[in-house]
Amino acid sequence: MASNHSTEEQRPVRHKVEGPKKHIISFIFSILLTLIAFAAVAGGEINTDFIYIILIGCAILQVFVQMAFWMHMKDRGHTFAIIGILFGVFVVFTCVIMAEYWAWW
Amino acid sequence: MSAHSHTEGQLPHEPEKATLEGRNKILGFWLFLGAETVLFGTLFSAFLALRDQVLDGPKSQELFELPLVALATGLLLTSSLTSVFATQALHMHKVKAMIWWLVVTVILGLGFLGLEIYEFSNYVHEGHGFTTSAFSSSFYTLVGFHGAHVAFGIVWISLLIGQLAKKGLTVTTAPKAYVAGIYWHFIDVVWVFIFTVVYLMGKVG
Amino acid sequence: MAHGHAVKRYSGLMDWLTTVDHKKIGILYLIAGGFFFLVGGLEALLIRIQLWKPLNDFVSADTYNELLTMHGTTMIFLAAMPVIFALMNAIVPLQIGARDVAYPFVNAIGFWTFFFGAVLLNVSWFTGSVPDGGWTAYAPFSGTTFNGDHGFDYYVLGLQIAGIGTLVGGINFLVTIINMRAPGMTFMRMPMFTWSVFITSALILFAFPALTVGLAALMFDRVFDANFFDPSGGGNAVLWEHIFWIFGHPEVYILILPAFGVISEVVSTFSRKRLFGYSSMVFATILIGFLGFMVWAHHMFTTGLGPVANGLFSIATMLIAVPTGIKIFNWLFTLWGGSITFTAANLFAVGFIPTFVMGGVTGVMLAAAPADFQYHDSYFVVAHFHYVIVGGLVLGLFAGLHYWWPKMFGRMLNEGLAKLTFWTFFIGFHLTFFVQHFLGLMGMPRRIWTYLDGLGFNEMNLISTIGALLMGLGTIFFLLNVVITAFKPKNAANDPWEDGRTLEWTIPSPAPEYNFKQTPLVRGYDAYWKEKMDGHTEMTPAEPIGSIHMPSPSILPLFMAIGLFITGLGLMYSHGEWGKIAGIEAGFVVGGIGLIITFACMIIRSLIDDHGFHIEPEELQDKGVKA
Repeated sequence: MASNHSTEEQRPVRHKVEGPKKHIISFIFSILLTLIAFAAVAGGEINTDFIYIILIGCAILQVFVQMAFWMHMKDRGHTFAIIGILFGVFVVFTCVIMAEYWAWW
Repeated sequence: MSAHSHTEGQLPHEPEKATLEGRNKILGFWLFLGAETVLFGTLFSAFLALRDQVLDGPKSQELFELPLVALATGLLLTSSLTSVFATQALHMHKVKAMIWWLVVTVILGLGFLGLEIYEFSNYVHEGHGFTTSAFSSSFYTLVGFHGAHVAFGIVWISLLIGQLAKKGLTVTTAPKAYVAGIYWHFIDVVWVFIFTVVYLMGKVG
Repeated sequence: MAHGHAVKRYSGLMDWLTTVDHKKIGILYLIAGGFFFLVGGLEALLIRIQLWKPLNDFVSADTYNELLTMHGTTMIFLAAMPVIFALMNAIVPLQIGARDVAYPFVNAIGFWTFFFGAVLLNVSWFTGSVPDGGWTAYAPFSGTTFNGDHGFDYYVLGLQIAGIGTLVGGINFLVTIINMRAPGMTFMRMPMFTWSVFITSALILFAFPALTVGLAALMFDRVFDANFFDPSGGGNAVLWEHIFWIFGHPEVYILILPAFGVISEVVSTFSRKRLFGYSSMVFATILIGFLGFMVWAHHMFTTGLGPVANGLFSIATMLIAVPTGIKIFNWLFTLWGGSITFTAANLFAVGFIPTFVMGGVTGVMLAAAPADFQYHDSYFVVAHFHYVIVGGLVLGLFAGLHYWWPKMFGRMLNEGLAKLTFWTFFIGFHLTFFVQHFLGLMGMPRRIWTYLDGLGFNEMNLISTIGALLMGLGTIFFLLNVVITAFKPKNAANDPWEDGRTLEWTIPSPAPEYNFKQTPLVRGYDAYWKEKMDGHTEMTPAEPIGSIHMPSPSILPLFMAIGLFITGLGLMYSHGEWGKIAGIEAGFVVGGIGLIITFACMIIRSLIDDHGFHIEPEELQDKGVKA
């Protein structure tokens, strides 16, 4: 790394370190969503299209929870990270739509 | 002005972001994950396009063993939680706790891999091999790429544990640990989509 | 200051093999890219010689297919992209006031993986198994059913390895531009070339993974008997086209956006006038990048996607003409009323504008799906893409090279020879490709080895071949210029064009190892021009003179790339060609050894902390980069 400074001055301020509570709640939430998804399939009697909606919904919710809380995306300083992931998701979305459309037509 | 990356005395609050190098590594890694999103997305697209081409092999409804997948999912999800705890220990500057949580993460990850290898060998015996059909090729490629990412992560975190034990938590090792944590969460996120799209939807038909 | 570690400094060949300096890496990219441009150009000349008259037999049909495949693959991946990377590396850190890129070590990895991927691909010429199914490698022809020799293995593995280099390069420039701009340089004060590199890097980031998957899937089909694209196994040949073009279309915007950036810089400097409509230029670049991901199926109108899909992709494609048109008008408005000097660089830039517009409008013609059913696979398409790639990108690269040559090498290229280069190349280009529009409209298909007499193709093919020879001559003039210039003294001024507007012209030519003695303070767009207009001759520094931290050179990137090269070779010859070692195919063993070398280098890099070295204020003579 070519630069004049590689450490910044840090003022001796006390910072709050977040506890594990939020993360454990996220974990429980994720497990719940996973269980719902598996149960929907194992249950067997529900209409196929409806199951698909439940599955995708649970997956998206779980991913959102994991990314926001565990990957700190809700914290500030993550602008470009969010842009990066969102644009990747957008490209994927386009591809997946095309793949599904093409496979089913 | 001397510019070495080890500080005397107090570690800064978020050691992984204390140096330009650390901030560059974190940003670069997030962008890399954007690329990985497209990588897995393309694999998913190929899988979705080919999942009905089963030829002579077993269909997904008959093939997939959900209890095994559920157990593997639980292991990976828990390992993601333990890696969050490791990152928290990082922010609390507690190296020993960090190492402990990372070790647990690695063990859970190894458990996940073991289950997956066991699952794949079962499938091969049931006539679902890599070369059987387009469905099977795309299945093994998608799930296998994910497994390879898990394996790489295990090796990476293990080496990191060694480095932390030897050099401690510094503004040089902190970004490496932080980035490894983000990587591990990402492959868990990918797994959420795999068990949903491949296994659960495959079971439904 | 005393430091515990010895300062590693190499000289001569070792310096170049271990460098992590973006300026030297830029020169390495230029040399390698330039070399492969000559290889691709030779392939083109051989193609044109075969086609100069009907029923010619200058080369066999098989050889012709190999030539056209390698010409396309080489020119796009091994010539155009590396020269783009050369300019990106040489100039972007200077334009943003940074001392290097975000990851100098990874930058070196990028170059060496590109280089060894390129070597691997061209080894095919020596083993006789050359890829021969077009640079687009359409399935099922690229699979083992129809293509049993190793040609496409070279293609798949060579490009996969080279692609790794490109991807890490993209991440490198994104992080550099986001995190390492000089104080005062907000995003909307960045030079247009840097903006275009930024968007290009984003395109690289999101497009190359699709290629990675496609190449991996094709490799699995070929080496491990998978069934992605093999219909007999349930696979689908059109799937390859989708995956390839999801990469391929953004790829062509990756090629052209940097050229757009160069034109903005050159036109503005040599009109002595601020770029017209800077904000709309930025917006247009972003829009082109974004839309570029939504149009890939316009390469597949004839594959039976249906009218709805064809219609959507048609419209999306035509939409891209709008931001592109904005850029064209902005360049024209920049020139208008400016105090214009027609240096060779400016000739290339001004020649670019109408030529690229011609290529662009034929693109809009092709975008009309029903019309494309006639144009598809004819010389009309060949004419279109050569107009935008050669008439666009290559003219832009020549402009950039002539413009920035003094900053990279400390010497100005000879203006007279440069103008001769321009006129020969430009006339030759139009002779070669303008007639090909008509050949296409008359029904001449592309990728054909020869054609019958009496179809009306003869004269135009002859003209096209003569044009190609002229382009070759122009290239020779450029090479002569480079050689002659190399013997001149290295005495270019900091600001040799005297009208420099951006930060790279504030430092010596060539740039010293550390780029900026003191990081500059940026007070507006066209940062240097702003200072000049306020009566200053230099930038205001943003920091005191201090010791400068530099990254250490390393031999590891070279070995990582060599490891991947060995893996590629091994995987290719793993079907019994090399026998077995302890029961395992020798090819797999060799492949494994290659991977071990690469991973070992990565582990060494991670475990051994190298904190670089310092250049002390006393040593801050303005040392140039030895070229």
